[in-house]
Amino acid sequence: QVSVLYFARSAELAGLRCETLSVPREITSLQLWEEIVKVHPRLALIRDQVVFAVRQEYVLLGDQLLVLQPGDEVAIIPPISGG
Amino acid sequence: MEESEDVPRDFIKLKSEKLSVDEVSELVVSPYCGAVSLFIGEFNISYTSMAETEIKKICRDVRQKWPSVKHIAVHHRLGVVPITEASVIIAVSSPHRAESLEAVMYCINTLKASVPIWKKEIYEDEYSWKENKECFWANSEK
Repeated sequence: QVSVLYFARSAELAGLRCETLSVPREITSLQLWEEIVKVHPRLALIRDQVVFAVRQEYVLLGDQLLVLQPGDEVAIIPPISGG
Repeated sequence: MEESEDVPRDFIKLKSEKLSVDEVSELVVSPYCGAVSLFIGEFNISYTSMAETEIKKICRDVRQKWPSVKHIAVHHRLGVVPITEASVIIAVSSPHRAESLEAVMYCINTLKASVPIWKKEIYEDEYSWKENKECFWANSEK
């Protein structure tokens, strides 16, 4: 079970800012995205513009294998605009 | 005062006093235009714990690249930021000018590329999420 955090546009599309989801312990970042989109289909709209932050490290959507621990934070990160 | 009345004009003013939304919107009103769009300010949000970590990484990198740098300050505002007010201020001190100038530039450029902070630009009757061109995963060709 991981904590998924939604920010900016992704929070608007998902309709919430944070929730707990059950996902396989070992999963590629793309598979993780697909699990999340099953729960919030509107997120598919921003698929080409997001990255993850897993345990506060950026991860691109792709084949990278993630090894998740219970309680890990996974954040959906749309294009940033600080500064 | 005939045709010159509605020739397109640019109204530019740089001043130190607080800006007036009323004054600015009155300048652009025209009988030919049904739409006036007003940019009012920003609303900033952050993934705060990660943003602090990323800014600490930037400071660490600055000290590696410019060892003579003494102090570094990065303040970023969150929440409502009215149009006249700064969202971010960065200051770096060093014995000589060149290092602090380069370090400040590095800080702001890297912040814009990697610190998870988002700005919602608020217009009078709508908003839009801003996207930095420095952000490497943004698809800006849309």
